[in-house]
Amino acid sequence: MSALGEELREALGAESIVEHPPVEWDGHKLELTFRPPDGDRLAKGLALLSERGLAALVRGGGTRSHWGNRAERADLILSTEALTGIDTLDTEDGVVHVAAGTRLDEVRAAANSGGWELPLDPPGEGTTVGGALSAAAIGPRRLGFGPPRDCVLGLEVALASGERTRCGGRVMKNVTGYDLAKLYTGAFGTLGVIERAWLRLRPLPASLEVRVAEVPSSVDPFALTLELARRTTTRVAALVGPGPAERIGSGCLIEEGWVLVAEFAGDSPATERDLEWLEGRVDALPADADVVGGLRRIQGAPVAPPGLRARIAVLPSALPETCAGLEASDLELVVHPGLGLVYVESHADLDGSLGAVDGAAARGCGSAMYESLPSQARAGRDVFGASPDVVPLMRALKERFDPTGTLNPGRFAGGL
Amino acid sequence: MPSLVERLRSIVGDEACLARAEELFVYECDGLTLDPVRPSAVVLPRDTEQVASVVRACREFGQPFVPRGAGTGLSGGAHPTPGAVIVECSRMDRILEVDAGNRIARVQPGVVNADLSVAVATHGLFYAPDPSSQMACTIGGNVAENAGGPHTLKYGTTTNHVLALELVLPDGAVSRLGSATGFAPGYDLVGAVVGSEGTLGIVTEVTVRLTPIPEGVETLLGIFPDVVSACRAVGRVIRSGLVPAALEILDQRTIRAVEDSVYAAGLPRDAGAVLVAELDGAACALPAQVEKVRAIIGEEGASEVRVARDEQERALFWKARKGAFGAMGRLAPDLYVHDAVVPRAVLPEILATVCEIGDRHGVTLSNVFHAGDGNLHPNISFDRRDPDELRRVIAAGTEILEACVRVGGVITGEHGIGTEKRDFIGLVFNEADLDAMKRVRDAFNPDGVCNPGKIFPTTRFCVESNPKARGYDRVPLA
Repeated sequence: MSALGEELREALGAESIVEHPPVEWDGHKLELTFRPPDGDRLAKGLALLSERGLAALVRGGGTRSHWGNRAERADLILSTEALTGIDTLDTEDGVVHVAAGTRLDEVRAAANSGGWELPLDPPGEGTTVGGALSAAAIGPRRLGFGPPRDCVLGLEVALASGERTRCGGRVMKNVTGYDLAKLYTGAFGTLGVIERAWLRLRPLPASLEVRVAEVPSSVDPFALTLELARRTTTRVAALVGPGPAERIGSGCLIEEGWVLVAEFAGDSPATERDLEWLEGRVDALPADADVVGGLRRIQGAPVAPPGLRARIAVLPSALPETCAGLEASDLELVVHPGLGLVYVESHADLDGSLGAVDGAAARGCGSAMYESLPSQARAGRDVFGASPDVVPLMRALKERFDPTGTLNPGRFAGGL
Repeated sequence: MPSLVERLRSIVGDEACLARAEELFVYECDGLTLDPVRPSAVVLPRDTEQVASVVRACREFGQPFVPRGAGTGLSGGAHPTPGAVIVECSRMDRILEVDAGNRIARVQPGVVNADLSVAVATHGLFYAPDPSSQMACTIGGNVAENAGGPHTLKYGTTTNHVLALELVLPDGAVSRLGSATGFAPGYDLVGAVVGSEGTLGIVTEVTVRLTPIPEGVETLLGIFPDVVSACRAVGRVIRSGLVPAALEILDQRTIRAVEDSVYAAGLPRDAGAVLVAELDGAACALPAQVEKVRAIIGEEGASEVRVARDEQERALFWKARKGAFGAMGRLAPDLYVHDAVVPRAVLPEILATVCEIGDRHGVTLSNVFHAGDGNLHPNISFDRRDPDELRRVIAAGTEILEACVRVGGVITGEHGIGTEKRDFIGLVFNEADLDAMKRVRDAFNPDGVCNPGKIFPTTRFCVESNPKARGYDRVPLA
């Protein structure tokens, strides 16, 4: 055990500190993981790290460790995996109070058993509540579920100073003080470490239908799918290019053009009517939810170098022009027209792919976030694509919440 | 050297800078009429550059400034502090852009909430947040307070509909936050500013999400023997898997006040409570949903369930609900509108508790509230000229807030903390929690010149030590 490890063990208890063979993370070789078993230990450990000027790379289930900018410094890993458990599942009110290290699939199963649904579906088996919220991670059902921030009613967060804090609450409406839960959600763990969350659930839909269809060349794929996305019960409306169409198991093998994946959820009369609408426009085939799962899976794992995966966000009206440039670049695309999102994946020609993605985002007056990018390409680049205009405000926040740069230093947008 | 007023006039023009006592009188408070304070001046800028220049001038003269929309807020969020300059945004009232294809609109902060929905209706769209004051309140004020409304249950509050903001920071710099795409990289600064009660800067432009007008709407009115059974019906509707657009309850005292007023809707005066339930969405799905709600309401003891036959009758149901606060003016000279939220499952118990508290203190208490969200509005009618009644009103109000917090609730769901509840926020959050909020304020507003004196407590343990913190006792007697 290293001297640091011994010191941390003595201060935080043997069960909180795990020594392991070196783990390579952004060029840092890390041999210690701080794995607090409870909130007190988490807070105490954070205070100690801050006092010592040490830097921790924060992770939940580790499913998004490949996200983010290169860490400036790193002395150990901080894992929330031991903070587990569903404290409250209120099936009367449709809320759940859950520890950050709890896996989403566990929360999902518990909610479903009570007639409710967890409106979070990010990719990555083993994704935890804290990880999903910290990364504001989304999946193919984002259209129907809304952004992760919308289901967060309240958070308990340990700050770098070691203070344990709460914001929000468990109720549906709340303007008691600043809405800090919005700030922590998607902050990549750089303002504090989420310890527990109150989440709002949704009623399980009475009817669920999935369809896939090859989009005929005579049909404008973007107009069709945007209109589909705006039907009452649509919660997935994606256009999938040839490569991904095969990989998600759609059963549609195409060499060019698009496969449409649609999921409808809601009351039977409404889903049936939306199905009829779709079937009146394309030859839509019934599929099972595995196709949506396939969409989720291919957006999860890191892409092996020299490949990349990026998420471009533009206004829906800018999608045709945005995608035209990308299709010409021979990249693999999954498009969510209702959200204005384009997922781009490439497996070769890193420089060409970067140019194509950056160019497409600029053409669409949007932004590009690189979810998976080889280490050398991340050097000197903000993979989040933050606007320089807001970086001073973000830095002011970071300096007040984490003045010693203990939490994920350098990994977040703007190099924070 | 010119005076501050002269400097302000040089920025916005003489007609847009008010400084005479009779002009300043109406700006001494907002919808919370307690503790009025006269500002040193009021400016009515027309654009972002004027706002930024006003802010820089205030800084130069060392005067705080307070953003204000229509002044309809109920928690004192737009109250001036002594010497403060009010920056009233009502003249920044242009809808700058409607992008119907992308379902967004870019507006100045002084646009009246209801006007935006009217303006985009031809595109089949509307702006969903609908606070009761929507005919007067502005989008900028809604952003400051994270305004809700009866249809929050399905559509969410203001924060769910704001995509981007232009903000004049307290140092006079102009910053653009968020993105019309809904996917802005970095911290969710828009989420932090919405609901910050004007303490982080002055919002000068808002990009909002527009919502399609639902294809069908059905509105039901359930007539109950008492408010507790109406609450039980709400709980069952929530558990049934439906997501109604609204679930609103009026109790007997409110019903009678409404029926005695110009908002009369033909409600039975002997009813213990009425429940207004609204369902919207795909027209083909509504008949089954209506039957489901009708059955639940009946099973929970409603003596009668009416389904609005047409738009006229629907409007009548809502007239009763939306006119309730106005109708209460008939009950007493003063009205204290409380705003607390509890878990929906405890509504029956907490309503019983609230009524018991009111009875025990001998105050005139009525309830009209967003039951579907668990958002209570216990309203106490009183006469401030009666010191004993005033004392009982304050004691009852404090007990109600404490009771709501004890069952897992909070002290405000849509009115904000402002000056009204800043000394009660300690019921919900401890010093570490508030310190985290102050870190945010200090990042945006390090010297506190922008809307000082709001949200944060003035004294430690103030609730216990200062039960008259809300200031009724300081209101001059007529």
